[in-house]
Amino acid sequence: MSATQPDNANKSPAHDSLVRDAGAPPAGLRVDGVALVRGGRLVQNALSLAMVAGEVTLLRGPNGSGKSTLLRTIAGRLPAAAGTIECDVPVLYIGHADGLSPALTGRQNLADWAMLNGLANDDVAIDAALDRMQARAFADLPVRRLSHGQRRRVALARLTLGPSSALWLLDEPNSGLDAASSIALDDLISDHLKGGGMVLAATHLPLGITHSPRTLVLEDMA
Amino acid sequence: MSPFEVQLRRDLRLGWAGRGDMAVMLGFFLIILTLVPLAVGPDAAFLQPIAVPMIWIAAMLSSLAGFTRIFSEDVRCGWVDQVALSPLPLPLYVIAKAATHWVIGAVPMLLATPLMALMLYMDTSHLPALLLALVLGTAALTLLGVIGAALTEGARGGGGLMAVLVLPLAMPALIFGALASAPADGGIVTPHLMLLGAVLAVLLAVAPFIAAAALSETESESGA
Repeated sequence: MSATQPDNANKSPAHDSLVRDAGAPPAGLRVDGVALVRGGRLVQNALSLAMVAGEVTLLRGPNGSGKSTLLRTIAGRLPAAAGTIECDVPVLYIGHADGLSPALTGRQNLADWAMLNGLANDDVAIDAALDRMQARAFADLPVRRLSHGQRRRVALARLTLGPSSALWLLDEPNSGLDAASSIALDDLISDHLKGGGMVLAATHLPLGITHSPRTLVLEDMA
Repeated sequence: MSPFEVQLRRDLRLGWAGRGDMAVMLGFFLIILTLVPLAVGPDAAFLQPIAVPMIWIAAMLSSLAGFTRIFSEDVRCGWVDQVALSPLPLPLYVIAKAATHWVIGAVPMLLATPLMALMLYMDTSHLPALLLALVLGTAALTLLGVIGAALTEGARGGGGLMAVLVLPLAMPALIFGALASAPADGGIVTPHLMLLGAVLAVLLAVAPFIAAAALSETESESGA
C-alpha cells in the first residue's frame, strides 16, 4: 500500500503552487509532536502522524478533541503551538465551510477555484467533476439556493479537479450527504488512493471505503 | 487568466450580485448631504463654506457603512481558506477586494458629488479639485477600511469597532483632502493634494500586507 514512496518526491511541477514545504523526500505527510490550541485551550499535545502515498487515515474522537483544528493546522490556516508539520504534496482542504460563495453558481465557484489553482477549468473538466458527485443538475443555480447536502456535493466535486498526488484534508465530508452521494464520495476516495493520493478525514459517519483505513483517535484532554 | 484576474473578475461578479449593499452606501451619502440644508437652512451664505467639508464627511461615513462586508462573506463561506491554499498571495487577494470595493462603492458616490455640490451652493470652479481629491481620498479610505475589516473579522460588534478603529486613522486623509478640495489660487495640484497622494501611497504599500496578515489565520463558519 505504501510502496510508491519515491514516486511522489518533488513531483508535479505543474501544481507547485499547491505544494507546501516542498523539499526532502520521502513524499507524504509528517506531523511530529504537534500541539494544538483552540480558543486559548490546549486540546492536543505531542500529536504525531505519518502518511505516505496511497494511505488513508481517519480522525476520530469526541467533539472538541481537536480534529478540525488539526486539519486546519495541516492546511496552514492555523499555527501549531508546538511541533512540526511537513507535507510535500499538494493539499486540498474541504473544511466545515464549503468554500462556495452563496451569490455565485456552483459552476462559477468551481471554475474560479480551478483557475485560481491553475487546474483544468474548461466546461468538459467541470462537467466531469460535477458528474462524479452527481451535482450537474443544480450546478447552475446560485449556491444560496442549494441545500446543505447539495452544497457539499459541489464542494466535493473540487477534489476530482486536483492533482492525483494530492493530500485531501476532509472535515466531515459526508455530513448532509444522501446515500447515493455518500457512495459517490467513497468511490472518489478509493480512486484517489489507488492513484497514489492520500486522504486524512475527520468523520463520525462511517466511510464505506475498500481500503483499510488507519484510525487516529484524538483523546479528550480533560 | 492569472489568479489575480480570476479573483478580480469574481469580486466584480460578487459586487454586482450584491449591488443592493452598495446602493445603501450611495443612499447614505445622499441622505447625509440632504440633511445638511435641512438642519442649517437653505441659505447659500451658510451652506457654501461648509459644502466641501460636509461632502468629505459624508463620503467618509458612507464608505464606512460598506466596509464591514468586504471579507465577511468570503471568510464565512470558506473561500479565504481556498485562496490561502492557492497560488494567489493573500495581499493580492486583498488588493483585488479593495479595488472592486472602490469601483462599486466609491465611483457612484463620485458621480453623485457634482449634484450634491450644486445643492450646497459650492463654488463650481472647485469641482475638479474636489473630485480629484475625492478619488484619492476614497481610495485611501478603502484601504483603511480593508485593514479595519480584516482586523475586526469575526469580532463581535465588528462594525462599531471598525468605525472607532478606522476613523481616527482617516484624519490625515480628511485634513489634506478637504484642503486640497478648495484650493486658494485655483490650481488643482496643490501641496495638500500631493500629501493626500502620499497618504494613499503609504496605505497602498502597507494595507494589503496588514490585512493579509490578519486574514492568514481566521476561523471559517463553525470551523473549530
